[in-house]
Amino acid sequence: MQRDKFFREIENLQHPNETLVKTHCSYCGMQCGMNLRVDTRTNKIIGVEPRYDWPVNVGKMCPKGVTAYQQTNHDDRILKPLIRDDKSLKGTIKGFREASWDEAYDLIAKNFQKLQQAYGKDSLSVFSGVSMTNEKCYLTGKFARVALGTRYIDYNGRFCMSSAAGGFLRSFGVDRGSTLPWTDLHETDCLFIAGSNTAECHPTSMFRVWHVQERGGYLIVADPRETPIARRADVHLDLRPGTDLALANGILNLLIENGHVDEQFVNNHTNGFEETKELVKQFTPEYTSEITGVLPEKIIRAAEIYGKAPNAVVMFARGIEQQHKGVDNVSAYTNMALITGKIGRPKSGVATFTGQGNGQGGREHGQKSDLLPGYRKLTNPQHVKEVSEFWGITPEEMPEPGVSAYEMFELMDQKVIRGLYLLCSNPAVSAPNSNFVRKALKDLDFMVCSDFYLSESAEFADVILPAVTWSEDEGTVTNLEGRIIKINKAQEPLGESKPDWQIQVELAERLGRGKYFSHLKTAVDVADEFRAATKGGYADYSGATWDKIEKQDGVFWPCKSEEDEGTPHMFLDKKFYHPDGKAKICALPYRPPAEEPDEEYPLRLTTGRVVYHYLSGNQTRRIQFLRDMCPEPYIEIHPETAAKYDIKHEELVRLYTRRGEAIYKVKIIEAIRKDTVFVPYHFGHDQSINLLTNPALDPISRMPEFKACAAQIDKSIKKVH
Amino acid sequence: MKKRLYIELENCIGCRSCLAACTQCGGHEERNRNYVYDVNPLVNRQTMPLMCLHCVNPACARSCPAQAIQIHETGAVLSALVEKCIGCQNCTIACPYGIPKFDTEQNLMYKCDLCIDRTKDGIPPMCASVCPTNTLQWLTEEEIEAKQQQFNLDNGKWVTSMQYLENETNVKVNLPGILQGVTKLF
Repeated sequence: MQRDKFFREIENLQHPNETLVKTHCSYCGMQCGMNLRVDTRTNKIIGVEPRYDWPVNVGKMCPKGVTAYQQTNHDDRILKPLIRDDKSLKGTIKGFREASWDEAYDLIAKNFQKLQQAYGKDSLSVFSGVSMTNEKCYLTGKFARVALGTRYIDYNGRFCMSSAAGGFLRSFGVDRGSTLPWTDLHETDCLFIAGSNTAECHPTSMFRVWHVQERGGYLIVADPRETPIARRADVHLDLRPGTDLALANGILNLLIENGHVDEQFVNNHTNGFEETKELVKQFTPEYTSEITGVLPEKIIRAAEIYGKAPNAVVMFARGIEQQHKGVDNVSAYTNMALITGKIGRPKSGVATFTGQGNGQGGREHGQKSDLLPGYRKLTNPQHVKEVSEFWGITPEEMPEPGVSAYEMFELMDQKVIRGLYLLCSNPAVSAPNSNFVRKALKDLDFMVCSDFYLSESAEFADVILPAVTWSEDEGTVTNLEGRIIKINKAQEPLGESKPDWQIQVELAERLGRGKYFSHLKTAVDVADEFRAATKGGYADYSGATWDKIEKQDGVFWPCKSEEDEGTPHMFLDKKFYHPDGKAKICALPYRPPAEEPDEEYPLRLTTGRVVYHYLSGNQTRRIQFLRDMCPEPYIEIHPETAAKYDIKHEELVRLYTRRGEAIYKVKIIEAIRKDTVFVPYHFGHDQSINLLTNPALDPISRMPEFKACAAQIDKSIKKVH
Repeated sequence: MKKRLYIELENCIGCRSCLAACTQCGGHEERNRNYVYDVNPLVNRQTMPLMCLHCVNPACARSCPAQAIQIHETGAVLSALVEKCIGCQNCTIACPYGIPKFDTEQNLMYKCDLCIDRTKDGIPPMCASVCPTNTLQWLTEEEIEAKQQQFNLDNGKWVTSMQYLENETNVKVNLPGILQGVTKLF
């Protein structure tokens, strides 16, 4: 479909006795196209070849992508169901024995039914993830509500994309992560990127980012650290963690003062300008500088560049979203595009860098505590009626909305939730305030975990079900552009592992709910039901057939019919999704981070990723190349700050907050603020930085504040408790 | 159409995807053959790849007493021939860039062969195929010519084509960087 300047017609090298299976990466929202090499004699995946003809990444891959195939036939794969009879061993890897699927299912059904009989339907919970296909995400929502009949289902997108979703819904009335295709990015004149370590987290975006500069365009980066992308930025806004809202308001104020408002656009297509203008007046460069720590000249220059740019794209990621005001941050940066009218046309717009592979699609179809397929809402009686009818239950049978991911752990702690079915996620590492979360998991009456490796969270399970990796099943994923793409199956499931959709169908049958699930015998059956279920919702996938995805190199939603080719650019007609068709410019008062530094905890702790690892590291820490490159976490600290504490490069120190502590090796580097320390979060057990992070939740998205809390360093590494 | 490896050092983000890909070509015994360096790790995050430059008159081959290092007709300087290499390691000392690696177990030198089973047929080498930043590119002579015009090169020469190094190389390196002399759009 799109053949841009980076596209090259290249025929792949074909080794003897091999076939290439076109598919996409298992990891981040870029969903880079790749070919898996399959040995035709053993029918096993043995390697990777670039997929030069995929328009988004044109063959390029990051080190995670290059080695992703090594997950499938890895020695650590769980090949049979595992049962642990001795509950005292929970929280360790000990005590599991291999079992048959029948025994595992029987044990799960018996315990789930026992708990529900004793404590009610809602004593069970489902915690899922979005590193799996739309079809699986859809079915997981249906499984929770129809098979288990519980209100408590939520997913790891609460630690990832929920603030972006909340912000976009408020600003645009619709939540599609990018208003434009990635193939536009290199042609814009200014990229304003806030809270995204793009070079490490979405590396295959970088050739487009650099091309903007090569053409003479500008790159502005807001980040407390001089990341590899910030290093080359025209302006690096080196703000204090957790102060984005002030920065965005300050830039908005300058855009208004300096006459960069597109008045016609604002008048015809937006609401809320006047009150926002009034609110941001106080955010002068000096006042903004006082809060953010960024020099006033830099703020002025950034606003000038963005304001003058004929086309510009505002982009952001977890840096601004994983805050207890993440939704406000998203709407505040989105304001920049709305008041200047730099949206709703090619080469201009707003985008978030979706973290997980299916962070976009996975949040749309009913894994979220308050959502149903097609982005329908559980709080809307009409929506509940539509979906109930489709599933063949009565609206009264449809459970009420539940609570968000972190709040589920609180309910476990309170014994409201007593059983858990965990899949596609590793909250023992990825959730904030891990000491609390791990205790909540340990104290559960019964826990089932479905995964292909024995993750840190699986260590708390009574039953572990062996799931397949992404390359042993097929289905669709929606990438960070909003483009629906097809994951293809490259080999049969290893050992006795099964795809999660099949596990849910078979488990539903054991629970006596087979009549709602038994017709789903193949991945295609699930896909057909899924697409039909989205019809009429605003994330309408009904026209996104697998044929069309193949023919068009993906389909951008909304795609409402067989004839509809999809929607690469949003809002070209300047129509937004609020009832009056207008976008909302939001007046957002500044709030500091939930926990500010003080005498006892004088440092600002922020967390993030490295290029070699993905999320909780359950997958990437097992890949030799990636482990060799980054075997352990570290604390990044400015040399002047290190000198104050008298700590040296590669020395071990104890880092602690009000919630927990951990020991890290010191990495001294000037490319970080003096008041801030950074630790990557991909590591488990006592290396996990989430032992220290703050679970203060955003009031709308319920996103925890991973990105800013108060911390202190202790040179002596003797443990306190 | 002859193509060359072209390196724009300033683009490198240190992801080491080139090294990961080097192990995945299907014919390199899954050992990577090049390097990525942190330029000044206590100060900033600048990194740079150090790839074999495939010198026109390579020191490694000149220093080899066994003529184990062959030069392919495309100009690629190949890895040591297993049957000829005597394991003397002259090449590892002779190369000004320290490219040849030595396998003590096999008593054998190995180095980048520019993925010769690919590049002989015009397929880009694995490193340039995957490089997410276009630090490593696989370009035609015309495209390289255009790059030479675009940037203000020292004496009109590529930085690695210097007499005090190894003179002309098949791989072209652009230093100090691609942003040199770029006119801003506004």
